[in-house]
Amino acid sequence: MTEAAFSQPASKASLSEQVLDKLLSGRGIWPAVPAIIVLSVVAVIPFVILLSLGFSDIVVSRGAIVSQTFSLSHLTNALTDPLYWTTFQRSLTLAINTTVLCLLFGYPVAYLFLIGGKWTRRLILILTIAPLLTSGIVRTYAWLVILGGRGVVNSTLMSLGLIDQPLRIMNTHWAVLIGMVQIHLPVMILPLIAVMSRHEGGLFEASANLGASRLGTLRTVILPLSAPGIGTGAALVFTLSYTTFVVPQLLGGGNYLNAATMIYEQVVFSLEWSKGSVSSLILMVTCLIVLVVIAMITNLFTRWTKGRDA
Amino acid sequence: MIKALRTASLGDILGIGLILFVAVFSLLLLIAPSVIVILISFDTRAFVSFPPEGFTLRWYAEVFEQTELVGAMWTSLKVGLMVTFLCIVLGVPTALACVRGKFRGTTALSVFVLVPHMVPGIVLGVAVLFAGALVGVSPSIWLQAISITVFIIAVMVRTVQSRLVRLDPSLEEAATNLGATSFQSLRTITFPLLLPAILAGAVFTFVEGFDNLSVAIFTHGFRDRPLPVELLALVQYTSSPLVAAVSGVQILLAILALVAVSMSVGLDKVNE
Repeated sequence: MTEAAFSQPASKASLSEQVLDKLLSGRGIWPAVPAIIVLSVVAVIPFVILLSLGFSDIVVSRGAIVSQTFSLSHLTNALTDPLYWTTFQRSLTLAINTTVLCLLFGYPVAYLFLIGGKWTRRLILILTIAPLLTSGIVRTYAWLVILGGRGVVNSTLMSLGLIDQPLRIMNTHWAVLIGMVQIHLPVMILPLIAVMSRHEGGLFEASANLGASRLGTLRTVILPLSAPGIGTGAALVFTLSYTTFVVPQLLGGGNYLNAATMIYEQVVFSLEWSKGSVSSLILMVTCLIVLVVIAMITNLFTRWTKGRDA
Repeated sequence: MIKALRTASLGDILGIGLILFVAVFSLLLLIAPSVIVILISFDTRAFVSFPPEGFTLRWYAEVFEQTELVGAMWTSLKVGLMVTFLCIVLGVPTALACVRGKFRGTTALSVFVLVPHMVPGIVLGVAVLFAGALVGVSPSIWLQAISITVFIIAVMVRTVQSRLVRLDPSLEEAATNLGATSFQSLRTITFPLLLPAILAGAVFTFVEGFDNLSVAIFTHGFRDRPLPVELLALVQYTSSPLVAAVSGVQILLAILALVAVSMSVGLDKVNE
């Protein structure tokens, strides 16, 4: 059947096939053009507009912008407003803590993946990928159930007689941190696993045969080799936890203001669009700075371990 | 194995033991919340408490009686399908151009596709909302779908790209030598081989279209509230196991998606 399809000479192909053939055989950029147009219209131009709005005074009427004049006031207002500083500082601290804790809890899983057999590996993959397919709200809701006044933690502690009154865990920054770590854990584990599975086999056995202890192998062989995975995982977890608002909104009880919840308030509730633009820009720029720092640390670490081996 | 243990020092055993203990704890941490939510969703009481008492399907029945929730599910289903369709139609040819293209800037193209995905979803959502306001396009289910497409198309392009790179080019060459046109060899050779990757990409883009909140919350239509937006409000203002039942439905969908992925490409290929 396929033979017949190929033996048909190109000249007998229909006109549309000839056109398609021309577009595809040139190995040109043509197949990507529709995507480039859509990405430009729906992403690039909006970013430029967002940038311009951060530097303007605007008048909004019925959900449309009716006038726009250049002004630096929103940017300077934001940079001198203590609320902005404390909010962004809180977001930054939360995101960094989340990233570090995700690494501490995620790395052992990746190690188990490395030394585990086929079924251990399959189980780890299922447990890691499955949460990514459920919505963040559902996963956050679970923590409401666990940490709430009549939740899992409190009923367990009370039935054990350790406490008389339910602990107030919900609506504290502890609840937010716990939720953040658990929700972003899979995002840390996946890149670590990816990098681990690239180096399986003889390398670690060689290290053991040469007399290295397991911890020694972990420290001198596995850890340096997995540095790129740590970098990727840290970058992903940081970006997500720095810019999320589901967890702070639900577990922080509405009074936990981080950068994302602040932007949401400004744009959706108080309709201060210039402020919203400025906050979004600050969020994007600060996020980018941290990502560059993470990349630099990863590079330094890789180079340092290589230098040490030499 | 035994020999290794004998030679290992006590500190070594303790250290590795601690690491494995944390690993098992983390794995339990990944699954426990979902299990607890499912248990709660069958609770007979009208408030959320643990451990649950009794067994009822009342909350599941109630989910499908709430017109707002059912409407939100339909909206999210439509958005998910639109996003998947757009990602396939726009993303697969882009992946082809990135890998097979002989023009300058193939790398730039792959990076360009990745940019919207690197930007925080909330910033993309705000940007699209404002840009729309400037040209008179108000939030709607269409705006939501196209915005999420732009946000997630990188996943489709990357998945197809990594499969495409590993395809044996001699297969297509053979087809061309036998007289097939480029289009014919693409349709009969390359496309079938790419299908598993496209399927895996489709699952992930669908899930994003269905579940995305960060972009959707700024771009969704006033009358077409998608499920995540509806759920966010519901979680904040209700305390019955109703949300647990909605979660139960979503977890079931996630399991189906997982099975679909593992049957189409295999779980271990997802991560490459």
